[in-house]
Formats: sequence, structure tokens, C-alpha cells
Amino acid sequence: MTAVIQVRDLHFRYEDGTQALEAVNFTLNAGETVAVFGANGSGKTTFVLQLNGILCGEGSVSVCGLPVKKETLAAVRSKIGMVFQDADEQLFMPTVLEDVAFGPLNQGLAPEQATTRAKLALEQAGLSHTLNKAPYHLSAGEKRRVALAGVLAMQPEILVLDEPTTFLDPPAQRNLLDLLRDLRQAKLIVTHNTRFAAALANRAVFFEKGKLVADGPVEEIVQRYDWAYSPLAADFRYSAQRRF
Amino acid sequence: MHHVLLDRWSQRASALHARDPRAKIIVLLVFLIVLATTPVQAVVMVGIQAALLAAAVLLAGLPFAGVLARAAVVLPFSLTFGLISWLAGEPLRALALVEKSYLSTLAVLLVVGTTPLPRLLSGLEALGVPRLLVLVAQFLYRYLFVISEQAQHMRVAAACRQGSSRHRRPRFHAAAGALAMLFARSYNRAEGVHRAMLARAFTGRFSTLGSLRFGAVDGLFVVATSLFLVLVRLQ
Repeated sequence: MTAVIQVRDLHFRYEDGTQALEAVNFTLNAGETVAVFGANGSGKTTFVLQLNGILCGEGSVSVCGLPVKKETLAAVRSKIGMVFQDADEQLFMPTVLEDVAFGPLNQGLAPEQATTRAKLALEQAGLSHTLNKAPYHLSAGEKRRVALAGVLAMQPEILVLDEPTTFLDPPAQRNLLDLLRDLRQAKLIVTHNTRFAAALANRAVFFEKGKLVADGPVEEIVQRYDWAYSPLAADFRYSAQRRF
Repeated sequence: MHHVLLDRWSQRASALHARDPRAKIIVLLVFLIVLATTPVQAVVMVGIQAALLAAAVLLAGLPFAGVLARAAVVLPFSLTFGLISWLAGEPLRALALVEKSYLSTLAVLLVVGTTPLPRLLSGLEALGVPRLLVLVAQFLYRYLFVISEQAQHMRVAAACRQGSSRHRRPRFHAAAGALAMLFARSYNRAEGVHRAMLARAFTGRFSTLGSLRFGAVDGLFVVATSLFLVLVRLQ
């Protein structure tokens, strides 16, 4: 299998001295979907922000064979599409079409080509009818799908989704699930929603206090860390261990 | 979800809505210059200008009373200055001050109410307004809804914990705290937006789709309206 993300001995410390990542090793293969679990503040989001160079730690990170460094950032960010937790932060352009075309335009495409790509991505996300709408006129589910379309329009090799089910009602979660299942890209899904993760991924990693402490099949990780929703005791156990 | 009335008006369809935003901005500028240079005693001229605006409001299919009422937002300011002029013994100037400021606001409202803001901003940029100013307006408009929604949530949360207290001091404290929190959240959001922009290969230069089309009808609209306004002014 071809590795599309390779992380070796990654360390990261925030400016206030908080050690957020410690000796993280991780590989994502082409076409694979991996769930990222861990308590709030365990370093999951910090980890994914290293993958496209938004945050830079010590160690090595490579994406599709490209080392993540200042000189390669433009190419890396074209390879790895990131959908953030808060869709409002991702949808900043005045209309849906302009927002989805934002990435392709940054990739150097002409406006006509960017428009075609944006329309295709919106069609893929089942949102062609929202083309000229303003983002604040969309529902939470639509916003999340437009955010995903904005990333798909860049035709990335890898998709990283940070808490994709937050604020979504069950039908919107199902729609998103169906959409993600149809996408060929390798996916990294940061989530607390174990059902959603199990429906998409067959492998999961677990973060604890900035360390990647487990890597294996989703069911096994969920069981080992008692990470399902129902047992409240597990939630209490992990909130007590929160460090950040 | 919150909708601004102007936003809804601007989504309607009419001959005025269909005009290129640049055409409307140019005509607006001509109108404002003509209005500003109209002598204070030229009551008929101002009447014609007002009638032109009224006709445009009707042509655009906007609610007449609603537009007039919203343009009145300027009156507290213009009436204050008008009163000062009146007391200084210049009643004609006072009247002109009030009517000109009101008609100017009405004209601006007409353009904003018939042009979706994204197109209006594209039009301004195409006419040479600095990109930075346009971007600030664009982001302000985009996140005004999000921030006002946050403010409303905080107000509800504060009201829920306020109990029956009628003292002003704790209320003032809560409002001040909420304002500080809103600022901090907006700052965080700005960082989040910047991160999202970087993640989509943003390198500091904004590229747009540039979908404006200035057709022959737009040209005719600019020439005919401007000519009419100037000819009336020169009478």
C-alpha cells in the first residue's frame, strides 16, 4: 500500500509551554479511512493541523511524498483537504459558489475552470440548488456539505474532517455519511461519534495527553478505551484525565 | 437564522435589480452630486429628484412605506443640525439640510435594496475601491450574522440566570462581560477563518470569479438617467 501521510516522531509545544504532541508516529495509506479518537484536549486537532502546515512541530511529516515545510505548503495544501469543526469559519465568501471556488482559484485555475470545478463539487455534495445562496441562509447540514464541497473542488488526495457530525441532526449525519462513503480519497476523521466512525473507518487511532497510544481496528479501540457513548462512567474517567 | 430585510429586498426581480451594480453606483454618484449642488431655494428641482426616487422605488417593487421609514434613520442627525441652522436664522438652509440628507439616504437605500451585497461589493471593487476596504466590508457583512447570533445567545443565557434582580449595576456588569467575551470570541473566530483560508491554499492574494456583466442596457441606463439628472439641475 502507498502511504499518503507519514508522520515520524512528531513533537509540538504551544507558546504557553503546553506540550500538545509527543513522539507521534502515524501512517495513512491511499484509500484508507482512519478515525481519530481521544478526550477533549488530547491533541487530536493539534495533530491534524500539523498535516497541512498550519502548525509546525519537531519531527517529520510528509503528505503524498512531499515533506511539509514552508516551500511545499502550497502543494501540500492542494493534496490535503481539511474540513473544520465550525463550518461558519470555513464559509467566509459571500455566496456558496464563490466559497467553493475559493480553493481552485488559489490553485491558479482561471475563473471559468474554477466555476466548473465548484459546480461539480456542489453537484457531488447534492447542493447544486444553493449555488447563489449566501452561506448564512443554509442549514447546519448544508453548511457542512458546502464546506466539504469547497475542499472537494480542490481535488485533494486526502480528506481530513474535524468533528464532522457536530451540530448535525441524525438525517444530516446520515446524508454526510452517504456522501463520505462515495468519496475515493483517503480520510482521517477526528470524532467523538464512534458509530459514525465505525460506519466509515476500519482503523482507528487513540490520542491521550498528546501521545498516540493505540492504533488498530475501530471496534477494538472503542472497546479497549471504553469509548462508546452509553457508559457514562467512561466519560467521567476521561474528563478526569484531561490535561489541556 | 436571521435575515436582514435589505438582503431580502435585494433578492427580488425587477428592471432595477437586473442592472449591473456598477451602473447603479455611477448613477447614485451622479444623483448625490446633483443633489448636493442643488441650490437651497430650488424647491421644484428637489421635488423632481424626490419624484424620480419614488418612481424608482415603485419600479423596483420595494415596499414604499418600508423604504421611506428606513430612510428616516438619518433624520435624528439631520434634524439636529437643521435645528441649529434654523436657530441661526437660516430656515431655508435648515430645510435643505433635512431634505437633502433624507433623499441621499433614500437613494443609497434604493441601490442597496436592489443589489445583493456580494454584487455591490464586486461593483465597488470593479470601479476602483481598494480591495482591502471591500474585503473588510465583505467579512463584516458575512460575520455580522454569526456575531449577532452569539450576542443573542449570551443575552438569553444572562437573562436565564438573572432571576428577579432589578439592580442596574449587576446588569451593567453582565453586559460588559458579554461584550468582552464577544470580542474574544470574534478574535478567535478571525483566527479560525484565517486557518480555514490557509488550508485552502490561500497565499495572501484574493482571486474572485468576477461574474459582473455590463451590457448595453446598463450603458443606456447610466447615460439616460445621468443626462436627465444633469439637465434638470441645469434648468
